[in-house]
Amino acid sequence: MAALFDELGGFAAVSRIVSDFYDRVLDSDILAPYFDDVDMRRLVDHQTKFIASMLGGPASYSNEALRQIHARLNIDRAAFDAMKEQLGASLLAHGVSPRDVTNVIADIEARAGYVITRN
Amino acid sequence: MSSPGTDRPAIAADAPEFVRLGRTLLQSTEIGLAIIDAESRVPLLINRRLEEWLGDTDFDAAMASVPGLDWASLGATMGEGETRQAELELKVKRRAAAIALRVSGQTFGGRRFLVVEANNVSKLKELEYMMESYAKMLERNERELRREKERAERLLLNIMPRRVFEEIKAIGVSTPQRFDECSVLMLDFVGFTEMSVAQDPSALIAELNDLFTAFDRIVEQFGCERIKTIGDAYMAVSGVPDPAADHAANIARSALRMVRYLERRNQGQSSQWRCRIGINSGPVIGSIVGAQKFLYDIFGPGVNLAARLEAHSGPMEITLCETMVPLLQSEFLLEEREEAELRGFGKRRLYRLRGETSGPR
Repeated sequence: MAALFDELGGFAAVSRIVSDFYDRVLDSDILAPYFDDVDMRRLVDHQTKFIASMLGGPASYSNEALRQIHARLNIDRAAFDAMKEQLGASLLAHGVSPRDVTNVIADIEARAGYVITRN
Repeated sequence: MSSPGTDRPAIAADAPEFVRLGRTLLQSTEIGLAIIDAESRVPLLINRRLEEWLGDTDFDAAMASVPGLDWASLGATMGEGETRQAELELKVKRRAAAIALRVSGQTFGGRRFLVVEANNVSKLKELEYMMESYAKMLERNERELRREKERAERLLLNIMPRRVFEEIKAIGVSTPQRFDECSVLMLDFVGFTEMSVAQDPSALIAELNDLFTAFDRIVEQFGCERIKTIGDAYMAVSGVPDPAADHAANIARSALRMVRYLERRNQGQSSQWRCRIGINSGPVIGSIVGAQKFLYDIFGPGVNLAARLEAHSGPMEITLCETMVPLLQSEFLLEEREEAELRGFGKRRLYRLRGETSGPR
């Protein structure tokens, strides 16, 4: 996992994934409402850190940090799944192998408990 | 919002082709454009792109909200050819968009106009924010790495002298070295084994840690170096690896301070720590031992003799033999003791170190 970030070409490549993911999230009817009042700078900052750390780059979110960030966002299963789907699509579109995508998604799924706060 | 861009009367069919072409271009370009009458602030043109970005937002209200632009007074104050730049934050299709604005004053046919050019720089902003947060991550990682490195260095300096550490850092290895002018101190505690059984072991270790920490401060104060501890035994040296002219006096003073420290500490305490100390001057070899779990250690007769002398100490006593006498007798109170057979060294005259001739005690 640690190599994926570098394999893709480091920040230069990952920034394209972040940008694409950002677009997908804001185009999604399920996901966009969560970010209605979020300042663009904060959202980009969060997504950069999130994707870099999911791909084994610098900055990793501890489970506790994940829990705190999402605590008041009222996220349900559908939104969580939609996010996973958009990220998967984004990664695939940028040359990440299906196997690596599966791993990343599984890694995210493993942390569902820290993000989903609503039934 | 009124939409002057679309409500405009069609251009006369007989207008020159370049006029029609110009209007089409204004409407279809990627740049948002508005032309405003400077006096009345009435928009004469807002092109399709800008309308798209504005959505339901009123143009005048949007411009008035731009920080630092002072839109209300701009029409009156802006002269021909003057420009202003500012940034407008809009929600375009419920997504935050950053619009870079350039407002310029123009005069045409005696009338003054404000021309507003707008560029959607959201993607640029996005990238800028991304780089900002990435740079911050890298900085944080670097800080953590640096801290980690400092921590590792501190740990290494605990198990080897700085000079040896620098040598290893620079050339990767450290060669064993012989030191002739140096002194060694060996200390252990009387009845430590019994103590550890009788007491709570973790509390005992905590106390031992306390004591050794105090000893570390003492030896450091007198220009000595702690070599290692083994269980309850503590070993320090002076003159290794950096030469010290007063190595014998350094070690003797450290030994006296350690005893004094314990005496004070024992007052009014239930646990009584009593040490034996042997000190000796003589040649040693200093070297790193081990490849993975390595330690800077000293070997040789200088070390062994100190250990034998320690064994001949009574509780809270410091023992030496004739090798050290010439080095200490001018400054220290030495009390002659019996001769003793020391394994590997034959018969030696023992002395007790009582204090300094001019110092306390």
